[in-house]
Amino acid sequence: MIRVQGISKSFAGQPVLRDLSFEVPDGRITALLGANGAGKTSCLRIVCGLLAAEGGQVLVGGLDPAVDPQGVRRQLGVVGDREGLYERLTVAEYLDIFARMQGLSGADLTRALESTCEELELHPLWKRRMGGFSQGERMKVSLARALVHRPQHLILDEPTRGLDVLAVRLLRRTLLRLRAAGTAILFSSHVMPEVAELSDCVMVMSQGRIVGRGTPEELRGLTGCESLEDSFVALAYGEKGAQTEEVLV
Amino acid sequence: MSRMGKAAFRSGILALMLPLLRKEFLEAWRDRRALIMAVSFALMFPAMMAGGSMFMIKKKAEEVTRVAILGSEQAPLMAERLRGPGVEIENLGSGDPRTLLAEGYHLVLVFTDDFAQRYRDFRAPPLYLYVDTSSTDAGRAQRQLQERLAGLQQLVVTQRLAARGVAQQVLAPWKLETRDVSTPSARGALLLAMVPGLLILTLFVASLATSVDTSAGERERLSIETLLLQPMPAWQIITAKMLAVASLGWLGALMAIGALVTLMPVMPLAELGIQQATTVSGVISMGLLLLPLALLVAVLQILLALRSQSFKDAQTQLSILQIAPLVLLMGLDMAQVNLADSWQLLPLIGHQQWLKALLVGEAVSLPWMLAGSAVTLMFVAAAVATGARALRRESLLSAG
Repeated sequence: MIRVQGISKSFAGQPVLRDLSFEVPDGRITALLGANGAGKTSCLRIVCGLLAAEGGQVLVGGLDPAVDPQGVRRQLGVVGDREGLYERLTVAEYLDIFARMQGLSGADLTRALESTCEELELHPLWKRRMGGFSQGERMKVSLARALVHRPQHLILDEPTRGLDVLAVRLLRRTLLRLRAAGTAILFSSHVMPEVAELSDCVMVMSQGRIVGRGTPEELRGLTGCESLEDSFVALAYGEKGAQTEEVLV
Repeated sequence: MSRMGKAAFRSGILALMLPLLRKEFLEAWRDRRALIMAVSFALMFPAMMAGGSMFMIKKKAEEVTRVAILGSEQAPLMAERLRGPGVEIENLGSGDPRTLLAEGYHLVLVFTDDFAQRYRDFRAPPLYLYVDTSSTDAGRAQRQLQERLAGLQQLVVTQRLAARGVAQQVLAPWKLETRDVSTPSARGALLLAMVPGLLILTLFVASLATSVDTSAGERERLSIETLLLQPMPAWQIITAKMLAVASLGWLGALMAIGALVTLMPVMPLAELGIQQATTVSGVISMGLLLLPLALLVAVLQILLALRSQSFKDAQTQLSILQIAPLVLLMGLDMAQVNLADSWQLLPLIGHQQWLKALLVGEAVSLPWMLAGSAVTLMFVAAAVATGARALRRESLLSAG
């Protein structure tokens, strides 16, 4: 479980996150929904321990990234703002290197690489260097890197951007499988249909605050809108934001 | 592996760093652009040295002034007296001065048809000197001939006045003679003095592309975030990057040393007064003593590139950084400052002194060399610690 309690963050005096609190339970997919600049990436980076929070506390599997960053990173799989690939490495080399950096070796390593390759259908790419990969291929490899050590917690920053239909379906299948296996998944997105279909819980962020949270149905019912997109607009930009926050949080 | 080493490996301190090292080395050594840059500079400068030494010899051979004289029958003795060391006189029956200059003569001296008659009549006959001032050797040749002509003129005046009863001592209060004391070996030493600076510059140039790519490049591509998310301390990330970058710089320097030693036998060093005395152990020592410096250069370049706002910015800053040590070392050489032994403890300066000595087969003090290398490694450790702090800077990641 990921637990965030009362964290704030500002850059050059400008507040980006304000007293943010939420939980991401194991075996659940939680979505962070927000416009550009709402603070989603900063929030995810604080959870990973890449940024330090000003006040409050973050616990990932019971560990505080500010106290034990390496312990937290062993439990985390992260697909960040960019894919973080290396164009001169083959997919096999890339995954082998990152799996070893996570402490895998011997038979465990071989098993992890084989199953990741299988699950994410990486066979055609396995021996290829990553320079010139399509956006979908890059995202697949990035996801494989995040999953190869079977982390208990998965964080994805806008994982569906630039993906074609097939890649989105593969990502969806993978996330549902991981949820069933008990992984706590936190992802940020702009894509409403994805969020609606995948998420057990949606948190709408605006100006560094969570202005609404609940299942997609709950958010639709609360805002009286027919779609999640309309609900998001109503919560993030409309006057209903303040009211729903009071009701749901 | 020692018990402590095994324990460190098992506990993951080193075990996690090895795959990172592999990643950094694969990335660095597969970058064709960086390799070409490293290899080409490493081979280019010894080739230029060889070319430079050959040019110096050629220049020396060409220092003889070739003068064609037209109408020499008007003053055969004078033509004869102009001849001497460094001046070759050729009496030609006829010819066009411009054509003769184009054919390779430095100067053409023309006596007019009435030269002898006017000389005898004390009517100052004209003497035409043709010179192509656009030629690089024209100034030197003209000066050389004019000095001889002036000497000859003075002699004639003296003789004429002596014949009229004026004492020679009155006419020549002094006699100036210029002696060139420059020796080929002095010029050769100047050429050789550049080698340590250029070897050190090779460390910078050969590792520049890799250091920018692995720091500013990773920052720009945001792949640095992926690395920072791995369960390993920041110093290991900097150390792995430093080793990969240094490997290219060191390779460049080793190749330059190899090329230099290979080309030395074909260089006309003996004619420049340089005795090639580089030994095998000297070459190995040169390679080894450059290793700590390669590490320092690598980590400094990474540090500077990490501070840069972009890949391009890093390239510009590092290009400026490369010139600084070369200017410092050449400045010290030109100023011919006598440095105390303790200066050998300073990176760059110590390396320059050792390389210079090893190149001509002179002995180098092993204790000073070890102490200097240890100081360089201490600088490396401090730079790695600074780099690890730099990796924790939040500004390294673009805020979302």
